[in-house]
Amino acid sequence: MNRNATSFLKEEYDELVKKSFDWKLRILESGSTPHSIVDGKKVIMLCSNNYLSLSNHPRLIKSSIEAADKFGAGSGSVRAIAGTMKLHIEVEKRLARFKRTEASLIYQTGFAANAGLIPQLVTKEDIIISDELNHGSIIDGVRLTKAARAVYKHRDMGELENVLKEADKKHKRILIITDGVFSMDGDIAPMDKIVKLANEYGAMSYVDDAHGEGVIGEDGRGIGAHFGIEGKIDVEMGTFSKAYGVVGGLIAGSQDLVNFALNKSRTWLLSGSHPPAVAGAQLAAIDVLETEPEHVKNLWDNTNYFKKELISMGFDTGDSETPITPVIVGESSKAKELSNKLFEEGIFALPIVFPMVARDKARIRTMMNAGLTRKDLDFTLDKFEKLGKQLDII
Amino acid sequence: MVSKIGFVVNPIAGMGGKVGLKGTDGVFQQAIKLGAKPVAINKANETIKEFISSNSKKDEIMWYTCEGEMGSDILIKAGIKNIEIIYSTSKDETSSDDTKNACMKFLEKSVDLILFCGGDGTARDVFEIVKTKIPILGIPSGVKMHSGVFGITTIASGKMLNEFVNGRLSIGDAEIMDLDEEKYRKGEWNIRLFGIAKSIVEPTYIQVGKSTFESISDDEIKYELYEHINDEIEKNNDYLFLFGSGGTIDFIASKIGLKNTLLGIDAIYNKKLIGSDLNEEGILDLLKKYSKVKLVLSPIGAQGFILGRGNLQLSPRVIKKIGLDNIIIISTPAKLASIPEIRVDTGDEVLDKLFAEKEFIMVVIGYRLSRVVKIQTL
Repeated sequence: MNRNATSFLKEEYDELVKKSFDWKLRILESGSTPHSIVDGKKVIMLCSNNYLSLSNHPRLIKSSIEAADKFGAGSGSVRAIAGTMKLHIEVEKRLARFKRTEASLIYQTGFAANAGLIPQLVTKEDIIISDELNHGSIIDGVRLTKAARAVYKHRDMGELENVLKEADKKHKRILIITDGVFSMDGDIAPMDKIVKLANEYGAMSYVDDAHGEGVIGEDGRGIGAHFGIEGKIDVEMGTFSKAYGVVGGLIAGSQDLVNFALNKSRTWLLSGSHPPAVAGAQLAAIDVLETEPEHVKNLWDNTNYFKKELISMGFDTGDSETPITPVIVGESSKAKELSNKLFEEGIFALPIVFPMVARDKARIRTMMNAGLTRKDLDFTLDKFEKLGKQLDII
Repeated sequence: MVSKIGFVVNPIAGMGGKVGLKGTDGVFQQAIKLGAKPVAINKANETIKEFISSNSKKDEIMWYTCEGEMGSDILIKAGIKNIEIIYSTSKDETSSDDTKNACMKFLEKSVDLILFCGGDGTARDVFEIVKTKIPILGIPSGVKMHSGVFGITTIASGKMLNEFVNGRLSIGDAEIMDLDEEKYRKGEWNIRLFGIAKSIVEPTYIQVGKSTFESISDDEIKYELYEHINDEIEKNNDYLFLFGSGGTIDFIASKIGLKNTLLGIDAIYNKKLIGSDLNEEGILDLLKKYSKVKLVLSPIGAQGFILGRGNLQLSPRVIKKIGLDNIIIISTPAKLASIPEIRVDTGDEVLDKLFAEKEFIMVVIGYRLSRVVKIQTL
C-alpha cells in the first residue's frame, strides 16, 4: 500500500500547537536553584520539585564527583546482569534504614517503579482500588494489568471501605493504591486509615509518595513516618528526583517485596542501572537528610509563612497541607495570565488548568523551596498581592 | 461551531406548582383560577443573562425564536440583536402545539441547538419534533423535571450553553420522561420514559501527555461498557440477562447484534433475544424457567433512578426474585457526573430498605472499571 508512513508526526504536532497544548520548553541556564535563570531571566523558582535545594548541596556534588572518579561514567549493564555495583547496594541498605523498612530497591525512575511493579502485583482475577486523583504513572501501571479496577472518591474512606466490601466477595487479591501527597492540591492521603482498612479486608497497600519523600515525616522520611506506620505499608514507592535532589525511583518494604520486585519488574530488569555519579549523589542525599535536619525545617517554616500570608491576603489555597500550595484563581485563562505576569515580575510558577483540575478551580501551583529567604518570600508575596488585586482575584 | 440557536419559552410552565397541580398540561385555566403566576419568563431571563454575561462569542450567534413571551421579549431585554422571529401565536393562551410548531421552524432553519424553557411536558413536545436530530437543552421551569435535558438551575443552563458554544462540551444521551398526567389525576402515579434525546454533557477526559487531555466520545465509553457486559454474558453462559431501557443499554444490545427495545425490558439468553418489551407478567414467566438471572440497568433521567421511574414492569416481585446481587448497573462517566446519586423507588418498603441498607452501589463506568455511588431510596 502506498502511504506516507510518518506524516502523522507533523500533523499531530501541528494540531497540538494549534490548540496550544504543545510544551514550550523553558530553558534553565543555571542550576535548579531557588534563584534560577530561566530563558535568560533571573527568577524565583516556585515550580521545581527540588524542595530541599539538595540538587546543589556541596556534599551531593562532591559524592557524585568522587563516585564518577572512582567507578566511571556508566554502569555497563542492567542491574540483573552485570550492572549492580556495590554502591547501588549501599544506597538500598541506607535507604531502608532511613525509611525504617526491612529492605528497599532503586528503580531507574519513579515512573519505572510504578509501570514495572504494579502490573506484577495483580492478575486477571484481582482488583486494583484507586483514588480518583492518582498520578499518571500509577494510571499507566494500572493500565498494564488485566485486573478489574475500581475508583473511590478522593480520600473518601467510606467509599474505599464500600469498594473493599464488594471486592472482598469477588476477587482474589486486592491492591489499594494511592498518591501519598497529591500533586495538584498538596493534600495527604489518610495512609493510617488506608492501612487499617487494607489489613481488615486482606488487601495490599501501595503508596506513591513522590512528593512526600524528603518532605513529610520525621526528617523527611516520608508518609510512613508521617503517620507513624513505618514498615506497615506493603509498598512505599517514591523518588530520588524531587526532594532528594537527584534522580531515580524507589520502593521500600519487606525483603519479600524486594525479592519479588527485582525478579519481576520488567522496567527494572530491562533498563541500564544508574551511573555511579547518580548513586553517589543518592547516598549523599540520605546522609544529608540524616544529619542536617535544618533543610526540612526551613522548608516547612517557609511553607507555613507563605501559606499564612497568602490566606491573609484573601487567596484560596484549597486543602493544601504540604509545601505544594495551590493559589486557586478560578477560570483557566486567569491562571495563565497570572502565571505570565508573575514570570514578568521574576517569579516562575506554572498554571494548572482544566481538565487537570475542575473548570472553576484553575490555579497557580507553587512549590516551596527550603533555600528561599524570608526576603525572597516577601518579594514573591508582594507580587502575588499586586497581581491578585490587578486581576480581581483578591 | 455553534452559530444558530433556536429558543422557545413555554410561558405557562411551572404555574401549577404553587397551587398544588402536578403540571399545567390541560388544566391551565384551573391553575389561573387557583391564583397561579407565570414563572417561566423570569427563569428564561436568568439563563439568558448568565449566558450573555459570560460568552465572548455571543455576537456571532443568530437566535431564532418566537414572538413575545415565547422568546423575543426575553432576548430583546437581554440586549441581543441578532434575532429572527420565526413563529408567533395569535392565541392568548399558548399550548403545546405552539412549542411544536416553533420547533419545526427551528429545524427548517438548521439550528445547532434548541434552548427551551419549561418542564417535562415541554421537553416532550420539543422531543416529539426534534427527536435526535439536534441537541436540546432545557431551562428548568416546570413543576416536573424528571427528564435529563435540564440544567440543575437556570444559571447552570446558562453556563452549559456558554461552554457548549465555546466547544468545551459534547453531545450525549438524555432521557425524556414525564408523568402520565391523565393517570395521575385519576390517582395513579406513573412516570413514563418517552424517549432518548440528545443533549449536552461534560465529556470524559483521558490524560495523554503530562498536562494534555483528550476527550473520549460517548460512543467510545459505551463500547467499553459493551465489552464489559459481553464478557459478563460469556462468563455466565447459564444466566438469563434482562436488559433495562436507555441509550447506553441499547448501544450494548446493538453491538451484541440484538434488536433491542430502547424504552422497554428485553431478555437475552446466550446472546439471543428471547423476549422483548416485556411486561411484568412476561418477566415473571421467564423467571420461572430461568433460575439464574442478571439484570442490567442504567440510571434514567435527571435524578438517577434505576428502579421506579420509567420501568415499572421491574416490579418488587421481579426484583426480589432476581436478587440485589444480580443487578449490574452501568453508566457512562458523563451521565454519572450529572446525577447526584443512584435512586431507587420500588414502591415496596421491604425492598427499598434492602437497597437503603447497602448505602452504596457499584456502578460500572468502563471496561472492568467501576466506582461506588451513594444509593438513595425515598
